[in-house]
Amino acid sequence: MAKSLGGAGARADQTLSLNMRLLAHHELEGFGGMGEGMAMQATRDKRRILWLAHEAAPKNFTAVDVTDPRKPKLVVQTELPHARMRSNSLDVVGNTMAVAYQTSGVGLKPAGFDLFDISTPEQPKLISHFDASGPHSRGVHAVWFVDGEFVHMASGAPDFQPRNPLDDQFYRMIDVRNPSKPVEACRWWLPGTREGDDAPPPRRLAPKFDAGFRAHNTNVFPQRPDRAYIGYIDGGAIILDISDKARPTLVSRWSYSPPYNGFTHTVLPLFERGLLIVSDECIKDDGADWPKLVWVVDARVETNPVPIATFPMPPFDAFAKRGGRYGAHNLHENLPVPTSWRSDHIVVGSFFNAGVRAFDVSNPLQPQEVAYFVPGAPKMAPTGAIQLNDVYVDDRGIVFTVDRHIGGLYILEMTI
Amino acid sequence: MTDAAIISRQRDPLAGRLPVTIITGFLGSGKTTLLRRLLRHPAMNRAAVIINEFGDVGLDHELVEASSEQMTLLSNGCLCCTVRTDLQETLRELFVKRRSGEVIDFDRVFVETTGLADPVPVLHTLQTDGLLGAQYRLNGVVTLVDAVNGMGQLDTMAEAAKQAAVADRLVITKTDIADARQVDGLTQRLSGMNPYATVSQAVEGELDPEVLAEITPGNSQALARDPDRWLALHALEADAPGPVKGRFGAGAHDAAIHAFCLWFDRPFTWDSLSAAIDMLTSLRGPDLLRVKGIVAVEGEPGPVAIHGAQHVFHPPVKLAEWKTADHRSRIVFVVRSIPREAIEAVFTAVGLLRGGGRG
Repeated sequence: MAKSLGGAGARADQTLSLNMRLLAHHELEGFGGMGEGMAMQATRDKRRILWLAHEAAPKNFTAVDVTDPRKPKLVVQTELPHARMRSNSLDVVGNTMAVAYQTSGVGLKPAGFDLFDISTPEQPKLISHFDASGPHSRGVHAVWFVDGEFVHMASGAPDFQPRNPLDDQFYRMIDVRNPSKPVEACRWWLPGTREGDDAPPPRRLAPKFDAGFRAHNTNVFPQRPDRAYIGYIDGGAIILDISDKARPTLVSRWSYSPPYNGFTHTVLPLFERGLLIVSDECIKDDGADWPKLVWVVDARVETNPVPIATFPMPPFDAFAKRGGRYGAHNLHENLPVPTSWRSDHIVVGSFFNAGVRAFDVSNPLQPQEVAYFVPGAPKMAPTGAIQLNDVYVDDRGIVFTVDRHIGGLYILEMTI
Repeated sequence: MTDAAIISRQRDPLAGRLPVTIITGFLGSGKTTLLRRLLRHPAMNRAAVIINEFGDVGLDHELVEASSEQMTLLSNGCLCCTVRTDLQETLRELFVKRRSGEVIDFDRVFVETTGLADPVPVLHTLQTDGLLGAQYRLNGVVTLVDAVNGMGQLDTMAEAAKQAAVADRLVITKTDIADARQVDGLTQRLSGMNPYATVSQAVEGELDPEVLAEITPGNSQALARDPDRWLALHALEADAPGPVKGRFGAGAHDAAIHAFCLWFDRPFTWDSLSAAIDMLTSLRGPDLLRVKGIVAVEGEPGPVAIHGAQHVFHPPVKLAEWKTADHRSRIVFVVRSIPREAIEAVFTAVGLLRGGGRG
């Protein structure tokens, strides 16, 4: 008897919540396996359109009208040209959308990004394609596009040969001020990772954790247009000086793996606070790469980042075997666009089978969990549990979060 | 909203904590019957109920889905647990188990006190235990009074009178076996002692859960929108325009316990507010049964909600902005054996009232 009582919440079919309430759930016409591209467009006719990148083929991206968050309506859903590629990441500025394309192997096309005119959300119109394919390139994994002028991205390039094939994607800045002719402005890679570098190659993580020394999220904010904040997977958290757009230089690198298990994903600066919130990505099921955490880093002296806390995670025992991955992944990134929630105190993240969670970092030494929502396992979930992959919070405080495999879009109200 | 305002968004001081409703009432007042009914209500499917012992509630077997020594999960999702060594420990343990996913993700807590209990220490538990205060907030005190025996208990039992005095909601039970005059008399007497609690009736424990929901608003915006609802001033003003004084003292037996609202035209300063509260609690702490107020404080963009019971006050809650036209401070007092004039004198002393006036 006691056992079934004790298991009530640890069961993957249970929905758990604290200060978050489900407003709506949309399965996206059965194609509910979503990546880590979420952006909101405010249209001229006063609609709010949420653009979502898919985790895997056959779908490219999906747009959902979320003007009324209780009644989401599918607007458009597009196809990829073939199955050996994925879109994974997108961003929207005004009526322009950038969509990343990564192929499953090197040398394939299309690998790069597309720019779309989404003035009429029902009919996205291709403006241009930026080609990043090459004999050693899988194209673009993640884009950051918030100013309408530059796309910052984790990408390979036709002329880039990594020493280790896992290190194929690095930081590239692409000038899209003429959206029909995107051109590279600059690039930066971790010295030692490119064939021909003078620097020695970096010491790799143990084979079971070796995920590569390459860029993931490459964020640039208007508060510091001269800085790029980069999660560099096994290379840790990197701050670049990009004041000279032709020649980025390293400001600092906080490298904490080993002893940790790599995969630094996002570096989110809280400018007013002198803090960086750094998230890892869990990439293995059943707790095999635990701990995958969100770190609070004191960056008042940007050349000397000091970790001071981690976000309190729910107990390993209750979640590690709930099915699929359990650990940190994406953060809502305080996007400098009118449709994005921004806070230097509340940080919201997606944690795979531990759902979406909000933390108060008012006291950076003791972050507090203040809200969460863990959907019960979606129908036909391949891992048997929810796997929330990404999260976007809009300026109304409405939380949008997506399942990696099948569950689609969950829309939540946060009452904190 | 400016960029600076957007970026400095912080968590709401009220939201983000689980509401705790205290169910109290003298022996035989029907707490058990009420809870038993409540547990069956569909809206209670995420409630946790802390009771004294299972035997009391007499849970129906068909409702029990799983149980351990201390906890029982009912088939509708409601979680029932007995007080372990003390309430503090039980509340802590419940939250820890909730977080770890060991019990349901309950969204509200009901605490049943024993019939002889003084509910004020339970309020203090939430106010003084920092760990609990971060996770839980007081929703309100619900006091049950038996229509047949209530009058006698109020006459002879100090605890019964105090339970009624500190209530946010009064529920008269067993009205089906009392005569109408008894019920009327009790209603009047309770309203006289504590006019700031709304009075409902329940037969066989049947009570609309809405009566117990949002006694204290769930977030600071809702509180700012309608502070007088929290203070329960609406009902009074509707039928007693002008000074509300005439309503009080209705129960001749209860001259010791009475209630009133002080209004202040001029804003407080933080110094004058804390000086007044310090003076009141140090001089008359035990007799300040319940104090709730919406206060204007110089330099604050919105009102400040204050709340205390006897010598313990919650940290004041700053609301972001005034959402009502009337920016006067108003503080409701339910006190025992303190003349209104004595409390007015304290505010006069700190310069908030002139000549003992109404402010």
